Amino acid sequence: MKALRAVLIVIAAALLAAVPWFGSDVLVQFGINALLLAVLAQGWNIIGGYAGYASFGNSVFYGLGSYGVAIAMVQWNLPFGVGMAFGVLLAVVFALLLGLPVLRLRGHYFAIATLALSQVMAAIVSNIGIAGQNIGLVLPPLNNDRLFYELALLLLAAATLTVWWLTRSRFGFGLIAIRENEEGAAVMGVNTTLYKVLAFALSGVFSALAGGIHAYWITFLDPESAFDISLNVKMIIMAVFGGAGTVLGPVVGALSLSAVSELLASEVTSIAGLFFGLVIVAAVVLMPRGLADMMRRLRGFGWRYFIENIRASRL
Amino acid sequence: MELLAQILANGILLGGLYAVMALGLALVWGVLNIVNLAHGAFIMLGAYASWHLYTYLGIDPFLGLPLTALLLFALGYALQRGLLNLVVRAPMFNTLLITFGLEVVLTYLAQLAFSADFRTINPPYAGSNVQFGGVVLPLVRLAAFGVAIVLTVGMWLFLLHTRLGRAIRATAQNLLAARLYGVEPRHLYAVTFGLGLALAGAAGGLYGTVSQINPYIGASLTAKSFAIAIIGGLDNPLGVIVGGLFLGIVESLTTLYIGPTFADVASFGILVLVLIVRPSGLLGRTA
Repeated sequence: MKALRAVLIVIAAALLAAVPWFGSDVLVQFGINALLLAVLAQGWNIIGGYAGYASFGNSVFYGLGSYGVAIAMVQWNLPFGVGMAFGVLLAVVFALLLGLPVLRLRGHYFAIATLALSQVMAAIVSNIGIAGQNIGLVLPPLNNDRLFYELALLLLAAATLTVWWLTRSRFGFGLIAIRENEEGAAVMGVNTTLYKVLAFALSGVFSALAGGIHAYWITFLDPESAFDISLNVKMIIMAVFGGAGTVLGPVVGALSLSAVSELLASEVTSIAGLFFGLVIVAAVVLMPRGLADMMRRLRGFGWRYFIENIRASRL
Repeated sequence: MELLAQILANGILLGGLYAVMALGLALVWGVLNIVNLAHGAFIMLGAYASWHLYTYLGIDPFLGLPLTALLLFALGYALQRGLLNLVVRAPMFNTLLITFGLEVVLTYLAQLAFSADFRTINPPYAGSNVQFGGVVLPLVRLAAFGVAIVLTVGMWLFLLHTRLGRAIRATAQNLLAARLYGVEPRHLYAVTFGLGLALAGAAGGLYGTVSQINPYIGASLTAKSFAIAIIGGLDNPLGVIVGGLFLGIVESLTTLYIGPTFADVASFGILVLVLIVRPSGLLGRTA
């Protein structure tokens, strides 16, 4: 069973990697977006799904990654790789500086503090000269969608492997312990502050890398689009819909929801946004533990699965 | 000096409006333990309701407030009864998520129904001013401030002295005990959420008279309401007046001395600071 699943995953990954070689341009461009969103969902999964700290501000890391690449390439004429490293550095510094105080907050307070942070970043960056203020920066174009697609896929694979490593490492167990009972984890000898900040930084690194790839691909960025707060909506919904705190859930959630929303957006753009909202409302009521849990238990329960979920949390 | 007085006056007038915005959020949070991330979106709906009443039926925005509040109350009652009661006992993150989803739904519905154009409610007296010393007070803002204070104090008296208000406070303190005394929680939760939205609706109607409306104003209004509720604490409706005034004054001063783009930075910066230093609120009891 385990071997079968591993083989299936390898086949799926190979198929995904082959898309740019036989798919149309539109499909490849959709693929890059979907893969980068999957990276964001997977990155959120580390802090939100495993450590249990529902960050509503991971878009900040994405924006920092984008600006890291843009500033390095446009202002300092450095290569793309150095820009990515610079973006990662910005994200890690942010995670350490703001993570330390903000991660002391719990529950609602943490969620709102991160939401507030994500709302002010655009205003702050639009006043920084080196970041092009509110006009933004134009990057040197590189017309190679195939490369960007494979980069995004590689990044998603790295993020997923990292999450898989969480499920079997001391660090990951520490995070799960924090999620389930933070005082308990501390009593058992988990350095909760260190673990939480590391998880926040790790989650930020993947988001920043995704932002960097996106910036170079789109070749233009301004504060509003780089620190787009609706990205938080998407990454959280995708991770939760697929199954937060599971290895493959966020990937499946991101790819499936991206596909549906792309189909809807081809009709009317705002319908896609509406769809995201409705999905999350329905998912919280009917399948709060995501697709992963539903797949596992639907066979045993049938339709009663949904009723049980409602019964567990209704007044 | 006169400029400073004018800025302070602007901040205070704005702060009254902020207080009503936050009041509904604080009420729902304190009683139901739901942080309603769609609160700003409901303020936006209230503003649009008021705009439609004025534009198509010619109802004065201030006289139309009870109607707007009633509409939002009905919506809130139905939402809590039909949807939110289903997840009230779920982990905190799930209730955050579902209201987050509602926010998205409402924003996009508003965009579809009302278009993304800016709207303003402009009654004939919109340009009138009151001179007070050297300070100019726009009549509309003054009226909005007055209504806001009446609503907030009225809410406080209602919670203290009426049977329903006492039931709401009892439920906030101890649901089980309240149940034993004959409170029907499903109904009471729905009434509380409805009241929260009625306040949001009234706040939206007032907001529409002093500022521009579009479908996207919700998210930042939610964050501001939250900041005010945090600063004022959840225990006492009068706390949100202090929180609202504080935020209004800080925003006005920031706009003048640092720049208009930094008004939001200042208010959210304060929010984060207050959260870190004193999560129970500047005026609230320690948790």
